[in-house]
Amino acid sequence: MIEVKKMPGWVVIVGRSIIFLLLMLLTTKMLGKKQISELSFFEYVSGITIGSIAGEVITGLESNLYHGALAIIIFGLTTLLVDFLSLKSKSFRDMVEGRGTVLIRDGKVLEDNLKKEKYTIDELSALLRQKDIFRVADVEFAVLEPRGTLSALLKKENRPLTPKDLQIKTATEKEPQTVIMDGCILDEALRSSGKGRRWLQMELEKLNLTLDNVFLGQVDSYGELTVDIYDDKIQVPSPQQRPLLMAMLKKTQADLELFSLETECEKSKTMYKKNAVKFQETIDKLAPYLIG
Amino acid sequence: MTIVSNVKQTLSTIKSIEAQLSSFAINSLDENAKKVFHETMLTICDVKDDLQNRIYELERAEPQYKG
Repeated sequence: MIEVKKMPGWVVIVGRSIIFLLLMLLTTKMLGKKQISELSFFEYVSGITIGSIAGEVITGLESNLYHGALAIIIFGLTTLLVDFLSLKSKSFRDMVEGRGTVLIRDGKVLEDNLKKEKYTIDELSALLRQKDIFRVADVEFAVLEPRGTLSALLKKENRPLTPKDLQIKTATEKEPQTVIMDGCILDEALRSSGKGRRWLQMELEKLNLTLDNVFLGQVDSYGELTVDIYDDKIQVPSPQQRPLLMAMLKKTQADLELFSLETECEKSKTMYKKNAVKFQETIDKLAPYLIG
Repeated sequence: MTIVSNVKQTLSTIKSIEAQLSSFAINSLDENAKKVFHETMLTICDVKDDLQNRIYELERAEPQYKG
């Protein structure tokens, strides 16, 4: 490295910083998202090491640039290899990435496992509190994951109530699409929600808005547009079509029942009654889609 | 308000429901929702026909309320 010696120190540091930043960016990109989340023990270690090697080489002017780069590349490649082998073999995975340790089973703390992981009961209750659990007795099952986070399953009676518990039928919903951002139309999102610019213009006109006023606009699963506008003093009506439709259905159903009581003609009476029943069935069928 | 005009009012509400349902059937993204909206629209359509027939009957029986 003769030419390096001739350059002033700060030039070398700037040059090396840029080179190593690019190299690390490349390495972490190659290793994927897992490297960033540092999910496994191996990635955690390699992440730290790659970082410190780079730091060492950048600031240590006397050390060799290529040696540092070589070390980073080796660490990157080894991590990649380990990731690949982990995908293929379960036993290898357990060895390298570690396994979760069961800390609570059937609502009882397993003291032996706690000791093995060198966790005190204080630390365990701190982890539980982070999950909003203040009573160990409420927990059915808890595992200490290899990365040191705790996963806890509450006892059935302590879990939050779900629609399934109440036996309520719910409609599946697609993710909302953001179609307007900062007053600009996002065509791609608009297309994936199956709409066009003309439709959007029409919906905005219905709300008495122009495109420039809209900060954020989203289309939900039912094709309804909700907007957030720049001027926070103006109230924009939220979509009312579905509740309105439900109200109309209910009113018509009541009307039909009324007609069936009022009429004296037997034939019409049965006709009205039959249709009132049909309407009730329709209301029940549509309820999951129109409410909520 | 006569009976006929009441029934006519209900008929127009039903038409409006039908239109709204078909608009939802077109605009919804979820296939299941599309199907349910379409099916219910067809049911509503049957009811609409029944009511329309009843209005014809009423108008024939009492022509003074025609209109």
